[in-house]
Amino acid sequence: MKFKDKIRFVRQNMKKNRMRVFMTILATAIGCAFLILLASVGFGLEKSIISDLTEGRLANEINVYHDKDFNQLNDEDVEILKQIEHVKTVTKRNTLHHEMMFKLEEYESYWPQVYATNFPSEIEAGLELSDGRMPQANDEIIVGYHFNEILTEGNGNEIVYYEEDLIGKTIDLQVIYYDKEEMKQSESFPVKIVGITKQPAPKVKEQFALISEPLLKEIEDFTVEAFLNPEQSNDEDVELNLDKEKTYDDVRIYTNHLENVSGVIEKLNELGYGNYSVTNQLGQINTLFLVIKIGLIFVGTIALLIASIGIFNTMTMSVTERTQDIGIMKAIGAHPSTIKQIFLIESSYIGLIGAFIGTLFAYVISIVINFVTPMIIEALSGNEGATTQDIMLTYIPISLVATSVSISLLVAIFSGWRPAKKATTVDVLKAMRRDI
Amino acid sequence: MIQVKELNHQFKIGKKKRETIIPVLKNINLEVSKGEIVTIVGKSGSGKSTLLNLISGYIRPTEGNIFINNQNVSELSEGDWANFRINHLGFIFQSFQLIPSMTAYQNIELPLILKGASEVARKKQTLDMLEMVGLSDYKAFYPSELSGGQQQRVSIARALIVKPPIILADEPTGSLDSENEQELLNFIQKLNQDHNITFLIITHDDQVAKIGHRTIIIKDGKIQGGRSL
Ligand SMILES: Nc1ncnc2c1ncn2[C@@H]1O[C@H](COP(=O)(O)OP(=O)(O)OP(=O)(O)O)[C@@H](O)[C@H]1O
Ligand SMILES: [Mg+2]
Repeated sequence: MKFKDKIRFVRQNMKKNRMRVFMTILATAIGCAFLILLASVGFGLEKSIISDLTEGRLANEINVYHDKDFNQLNDEDVEILKQIEHVKTVTKRNTLHHEMMFKLEEYESYWPQVYATNFPSEIEAGLELSDGRMPQANDEIIVGYHFNEILTEGNGNEIVYYEEDLIGKTIDLQVIYYDKEEMKQSESFPVKIVGITKQPAPKVKEQFALISEPLLKEIEDFTVEAFLNPEQSNDEDVELNLDKEKTYDDVRIYTNHLENVSGVIEKLNELGYGNYSVTNQLGQINTLFLVIKIGLIFVGTIALLIASIGIFNTMTMSVTERTQDIGIMKAIGAHPSTIKQIFLIESSYIGLIGAFIGTLFAYVISIVINFVTPMIIEALSGNEGATTQDIMLTYIPISLVATSVSISLLVAIFSGWRPAKKATTVDVLKAMRRDI
Repeated sequence: MIQVKELNHQFKIGKKKRETIIPVLKNINLEVSKGEIVTIVGKSGSGKSTLLNLISGYIRPTEGNIFINNQNVSELSEGDWANFRINHLGFIFQSFQLIPSMTAYQNIELPLILKGASEVARKKQTLDMLEMVGLSDYKAFYPSELSGGQQQRVSIARALIVKPPIILADEPTGSLDSENEQELLNFIQKLNQDHNITFLIITHDDQVAKIGHRTIIIKDGKIQGGRSL
């Protein structure tokens, strides 16, 4: 029998007992919603507390400083890092050590932090924008959320920040060098601001600019030429840079999961890479949250087990009601496994629809809770500051949804198992002896 | 086509260890050739239905073997029996055994669905079958909305749809009036002649017994003898 036909059978059967099936689905949905909401408190608190502790640094981020010989990392190292299990992506940035400034109309910024990076890996690492888009051309750049605070116009005592929209503005990146006569000169590289990073956590200022690697190359080519002038080659840093292969002074690993940070760090230590990660510092807290989350999911599953009694009941009745049909089908040659599957599909169906509706419930309730809680805290504490830091009481990650849908499905199959098994043992002759 | 060899069957009733054994069939040997119509007659309680249920695989013999199409069906597992049944056997029952929640069309289509036939093939064959049993206008009717004769025609259509070489029937005319009975008998003879289908029919009705090329008499669980045409 084709799977499609089994589904059709199941749907027809369910339609005959709409009310009963609906109530069972409702019970499952409530169980599933309860499970998700309960566990989401664990996830929400973890998220709030960890993001508070890490002050906006991504918890799955690991900074890698040097290789086993205390050298800066090169492309080869980056490849090795990427191969480590559970590493989602590796970003590599270079700080521009040149003396330079930004200039936009009358506004200027001295000694800006400028990093050259590879944008696709930044996106993979989770770089998010509050406005604009990711750069496409080499002369397009992204600036930090607080970049405007270093773009100032000022004469003496009064300093004015740049307040207009930065997106789409072409801004001059001026690289400063000294000519043969030791005269200060500057070369202008016009770049276009296309994106602004997401607002960081409170207390964190992001005032940097991110430029593309090709643009860095362009700037370096220019400065190298300038410095090649024999009288000017007294800058040691630059000379060193010329001889050496391409290295990165800011390499960060992003793991695919928070739980995997410590594993990756272990591997890094084994390979001799110097590293730092906030999460590792929070190791204990992570384990604690893992235990809390598992505990909450476990307690929530009990709600689903109660719903499973309903599924068991419904399926048993369904089998009993259809004993005659089952007998006839067996009499003309239905395979026992076909009959079993039809009933298992029916209970899985109840489980899945219940889980789906339950997930929707949970999301709606979670949104309401997160909306109302800050207001209650504010009202109770009379302290407005308490709410400026986003308190997230509940948080429902996709992984939690996947977990609870799987649990619902398992519970549904588990409770449908015995009735389905019973259906296969229906005695053909007894079933047919019943009167139509 | 069908061979029954040294078949003994007994039922056990009552609780375990204190059960009573009721011997029903004793040393049955029977052979039905391809294209034959064989009728089985005997008094009520003589074991006719039990014999047919054994041949249908609804119950397992206490002793002895049954061969259908040279396959020793007594050895088949339940799943294999199911597959064998849907491919080789058609069934007609006294009380029709149609699924009440399915229309005539759906009841006839059922064996094809169980076999996993494609939707297109199913539709064509089912409509052809409805036409053949003269129920084209009744395809959307539920069994409770059909007369006894019409229900029996639906059940015959269901039996024939997978084109089985053998049809087993336990009192097929038991619930029909004489007009419908005659119609059914004519149809059986036509199927036998046109499609060479083998029939094994249980009855206690002389009219029905007469259409058999051979008639076997069972008495107290033993084959008493028979008469041939
Ligand atoms: N499941 C069973 N358990 C116990 N005894 C049974 C069972 N089925 C049948 N019998 C017994 O086997 C004997 C034969 O029954 P069977 O149904 O084969 O008779 P039959 O020849 O078909 O009769 P009828 O013409 O009335 O249909 C009967 O005595 C009956 O009591
Ligand atoms: Mg009988």
